[in-house]
Amino acid sequence: MDFSNKYVLGFALLLCVVCSALVSSTAVALKERQDANKELDQRRQVIRVAGLAQPGDALPKETVDTLFESIQGRVIDRETGDYIDVPVASVDPIKESKDAEMSAKTPSEFKAAQVSRLSNRLQVFEVKTPGKECLVLPIHGKGLWSTMYGYLAVKNDLSEVVGITFYAHGETPGLGGEIDNPSWKAQFPGKSVFGADGVGLGVVKASAPRDADYEVDGLSGATITTKGVDATIKLWLGPAGYGPYLEQFKTQG
Amino acid sequence: MKILRDTLDKFEPLFTKGGKLEKLYPVYEAADTFLYTPGHRTASGPSVRDGIDLKRMMIMVVIALVPATLFGMWNVGFQHLRATQDWNLAPTAAPFFECLLYGAIKFIPVYAVTIVAGGTAEAIFSILRKHEINEGFLVTSLLFPLTLPPDIPLWQVAVGIIFGVVIGKEIFGGTGMNILNPALTARIFLYFAYPVDISGDRVWVSGSGSGEWIDGATGATPLAFFYSNGNAPEAMAAADSLSIGWFDAFMGWIPGSMGETSTLMCLLGAGILIFSKVGSWRIMAGCGLGMLAFTLLLNFVAFAAGLGADHYTAVSPAWHFVIGSFAFGSIFMATDPVSAAQTNTGRWIYGFMIGALTILVRVLNPAYPAGIMLAIVFMNVFAPLIDHYVMKANIRRREVRLGLQ
Amino acid sequence: MDKATRGILLDPLHEQNPITLQVLGICSALAVTTKLETAFVMSAALTFVLVCSNTTISLLRNKIPGSIRIITQLAIIASLVIVADQVLKAFLFDTSKALSVFVGLIITNCIVMGRAEAFAMANPPMASALDGFANSMGYSVVLIYVALFRELLGSGKVLGSPVFASVSDGGWYVPNGLMVLSPGAFFLIGLLIWVQRSMTPTLQEAD
Repeated sequence: MDFSNKYVLGFALLLCVVCSALVSSTAVALKERQDANKELDQRRQVIRVAGLAQPGDALPKETVDTLFESIQGRVIDRETGDYIDVPVASVDPIKESKDAEMSAKTPSEFKAAQVSRLSNRLQVFEVKTPGKECLVLPIHGKGLWSTMYGYLAVKNDLSEVVGITFYAHGETPGLGGEIDNPSWKAQFPGKSVFGADGVGLGVVKASAPRDADYEVDGLSGATITTKGVDATIKLWLGPAGYGPYLEQFKTQG
Repeated sequence: MKILRDTLDKFEPLFTKGGKLEKLYPVYEAADTFLYTPGHRTASGPSVRDGIDLKRMMIMVVIALVPATLFGMWNVGFQHLRATQDWNLAPTAAPFFECLLYGAIKFIPVYAVTIVAGGTAEAIFSILRKHEINEGFLVTSLLFPLTLPPDIPLWQVAVGIIFGVVIGKEIFGGTGMNILNPALTARIFLYFAYPVDISGDRVWVSGSGSGEWIDGATGATPLAFFYSNGNAPEAMAAADSLSIGWFDAFMGWIPGSMGETSTLMCLLGAGILIFSKVGSWRIMAGCGLGMLAFTLLLNFVAFAAGLGADHYTAVSPAWHFVIGSFAFGSIFMATDPVSAAQTNTGRWIYGFMIGALTILVRVLNPAYPAGIMLAIVFMNVFAPLIDHYVMKANIRRREVRLGLQ
Repeated sequence: MDKATRGILLDPLHEQNPITLQVLGICSALAVTTKLETAFVMSAALTFVLVCSNTTISLLRNKIPGSIRIITQLAIIASLVIVADQVLKAFLFDTSKALSVFVGLIITNCIVMGRAEAFAMANPPMASALDGFANSMGYSVVLIYVALFRELLGSGKVLGSPVFASVSDGGWYVPNGLMVLSPGAFFLIGLLIWVQRSMTPTLQEAD
């Protein structure tokens, strides 16, 4: 069949209009639901790492909402540690860290975590549930193959770790992938966080000598993932990460 | 001896055509020809045959492996003794028979499981496909346990060798048709399927992690040491560290798999293989050259880029030669006559690439320090392609010579 | 059911299976099959896209100018894929997280373009819809088989509930790490092809 040029152009134009209308209308119509999902997912992670739920709990939306009544999500200025008065859901530190204007280069002493830029605004979650008060901090850093995303929870007085979790990573299954193994993560709660000279909390190579108050035994056969987790912790608890905020939080109570 | 022959003859009718156990003929044939020279003659021309058939060839490889196997058994015992009594124990001071016995107790069950599990898989396929059980398995079944750590769970040995035999060999049609080395396929399977038991620092010395380990016994291999500490042979030789020097690594009294640690014993085996013309010296030499060339290149890069003399890339070729099963792999695994390149030029290329890739994987890949294993299987896949181009180039050259092109 | 319809419906399941015989759509078969659940959702997403795209393209087949045929098909397929992706994000968030980019990559799944070009452009809408459905089923069957074994052997579970109690939970089963890695899927697809061709020797290519 032969079509005139006019027809071809007209057809193409119409196709584009129809397709774009379809795509944009679904995107707009579903946006609210998708955002709610994202927030719910993050809240579940926070609740789990803060130890407010049993590991196997399904955590339906209602439970999450009730538990979250005593958790306050805040946005902070990374350099000063001050609160910024914007809704926590409006900030995406990982996206912002790719924007040169909203982020800064990671200081070279923390290059082991292989995070090239740090966003200027960060999220924190202050858990005020009586008896379970803690701070939940989103963290990320590079392991062997992938960037590991997770949360670290520390007690309000910064004395000890409450929990750690990694919700997204692509480490070798069976070796580095064991970072999300509950029995390995169970080593963290109770460890002291800050030592005489800065961050004491860390992970050392499997079965190497370590300071049992501060350090966790690494994963056997996963040296690089282990180093990555260690560097990630040191980066985010340090002065370039949540350090200024933690200091302020501690002095103000 | 007569009784044996008589027994075999007595049972033969059961297995031949029309007999009750006709289907199991391959099993009978294997037992018979393992013990006696095959009785059948070439039926059609050409009738000239070399005295060396597949069986004799494979037996030669087994003989060549004997030194490495015996030494390996002793070393398993010696490493255990070191880790439980005195980390700086001198090899000459260790009680010889005690070590050998300990190693034998570790090695023989693994070997037995390999034979039984792998042999059963072989037998099933032989019966289904109606061909004879192949002698190639004799070599595979000895090579495989030698590449395993001493405390490997026996069920893993069984799963591994079955995978190696089926996926590495039978799926392609059996011995002669396989593109991969079955023993290495089996090991790679275990390496990726159950990494905890076959990688890391804890598995290479028998009994590691048990209460009787003394302070200071790390159990890391020299390869792992360089990998995590850079080029620091002095630190490695220190008494409070691995206390392993180059000569120790060359002799093979270091932690590692059960039969691959000793470069000296592998070289002895290489001598047997080359002398009996069973193994290709071109492949072995190619591996050595490739390793040398790529290591020197890395050394140069380390120097030129100012990475420092203690960087991993600066590790010398002499060290790379004696660690990480390099000799074992290039002498016994790479030269497997079926999966290696068949043309002489092809063998040089194939060997060279194995050597170079080994170092590439070892030094530049962050995850898998076991370079030689991956390099050999990778080049196994390319061997037919290399041969193809070598032959094509040869045909072209002849055509040019004859003025046809 | 007449013979032609039968052929359209049944061929893609066995003798013309898109994955094991035409070896199309392999990349997603490797990427999303570590768990059975993701494989189901991926199959559903592909079925939706393939049926809709085949139908739409078949309806328009006499109106599409030959010179911009491929780009037209692509635009339609891409729009459908984005809709599928958005719906998953809104209603099945956890699974869509596990599927990550692979729903989006249905666009590049050769089965979709292949059926549009090979079938929908030349056949009426009903037959095209059936063809799309049958091919999705052929794809889904393989995907689900691979995912079933990968989840079972790789983590001892089926649909997330433990079948073999794994060692880390105090059981006996040591999960097979190879099954969690992509090559595990290659082995399973290879074994399936082996079994299929041994059972139906007519499918074997001449040497």
